[in-house]
Amino acid sequence: MDYIINVSGYILEGSIVTFQLYLITALLSVFLGIAGALGKISKIPLLNSFLSFYTWVFRGTPLLLQLFFAYYGLPVLGITLEPFPAAALTFTINYGAYFTEIFRGGIESIDNGQYEAAQVLGMNYRQTMSRIIIPQTVKRVLPATSNEAINLVKDSALVAVIGLGDLLRAAKVAVTRDFSIIPFIIAAVFYLIISSVIVNIFRRLENKYSVYE
Amino acid sequence: MIEAKNIYKSFAELEVLSDVSFTVNQGEVISVIGPSGSGKSTLLRCLIGLEAIDSGEIYIEGLSVKKAGRKAYQKMGMVFQGFNLFPHKTVLGNLIEAPIVVNGEDKKEVKKRAEALLEKVGLYDKKDAYPSQLSGGQKQRVAIARALAMQPDIMLFDEPTSSLDPELVGEVLTVIRDLADENITMMVVTHEMSFAQDVSDRVFFMDHGKIISDSVPEKIFVNPDSTRIQNFLTKILSQNDGSL
Repeated sequence: MDYIINVSGYILEGSIVTFQLYLITALLSVFLGIAGALGKISKIPLLNSFLSFYTWVFRGTPLLLQLFFAYYGLPVLGITLEPFPAAALTFTINYGAYFTEIFRGGIESIDNGQYEAAQVLGMNYRQTMSRIIIPQTVKRVLPATSNEAINLVKDSALVAVIGLGDLLRAAKVAVTRDFSIIPFIIAAVFYLIISSVIVNIFRRLENKYSVYE
Repeated sequence: MIEAKNIYKSFAELEVLSDVSFTVNQGEVISVIGPSGSGKSTLLRCLIGLEAIDSGEIYIEGLSVKKAGRKAYQKMGMVFQGFNLFPHKTVLGNLIEAPIVVNGEDKKEVKKRAEALLEKVGLYDKKDAYPSQLSGGQKQRVAIARALAMQPDIMLFDEPTSSLDPELVGEVLTVIRDLADENITMMVVTHEMSFAQDVSDRVFFMDHGKIISDSVPEKIFVNPDSTRIQNFLTKILSQNDGSL
């Protein structure tokens, strides 16, 4: 029992890095996704092509490869990043690509009549998007966003490969040190707890938005 | 007052409005009738800027829409066939949104005005409901109140009862009739012929992108001078069981 508590404490320390990475990525990639989606539905051809290229590359190649590139590849180009910034940057850009497509689909699913109603009431583009379109989009993209939020918990474990001391790496160290598989089981429990909390948050959000329609 | 001069509008190769000119005076109620595809809806949509015209001039209350833009458009309110209420807002929320966001009006005062409008369309008790909880007729009455909340001088109705079940048409037409008595300028695209005959000061009959008749309702409905109008009326009245 003492051992479990000890190891849990050790793994919990590692999970601080996981939490930090999670929060930074979640926040930044959602903003990147909103900006990307608005850019993609805009009628600026150059911006459209650029964003299509962006989502094509980052959704079409392994996240692990992107992580390697940011950490081992960029130094070749003269840009050297510490493990944490490299991981945060890679995750943000990668998840931003997914969110760009999810939010774009959500925005495009809103009936054109909503834009017309807003227009004849005198709203400008910014008012229409922020007051009418985006709030309705949020409801529609919640399920897909919830999936990505859970994926991100698990994907965060990839940072162990560039030497970042996250939850999984702490467990791995403990396993090697103690010749015991218990740290892995504890790590699994930790991941499950985090995922459950996130699922719960999204369920509450979906309930909140289910008052209409 | 609306003045339209020589309006042309095409979608790709298809000419939808062809040299349309007319004047609607302050307080007049105009019904726009005619076969589907004759350009009725497009005409309204061009007036309020939902479609750009290819050439011609539109003046709203003396303001050129080309020069005044939004300022001219905001003198008009529009009601759509498909309601287009904001589903994420309550009934009251639908009404107060634009006056607060667009005009920056005081929320308390807007609420008072909105509640009075809901009273007027008979839906005060639904003010906290969401659109999904309303019937089609109720939705359209909310949509009318929402347009009125912006205090327009002119109201445009684009087939306001066409997507309603027959038993719900009456409640919406009653609301529009009441408005017609209030000296607000109105243009109504409609297939409800008896309504057009009752409330209109003038009726525009459109066909192939032109207003081919602009006259008092008696003239069109009782004494149509063109065979095209006669054919149209015969056809539409046979659908409506012959009752005008």
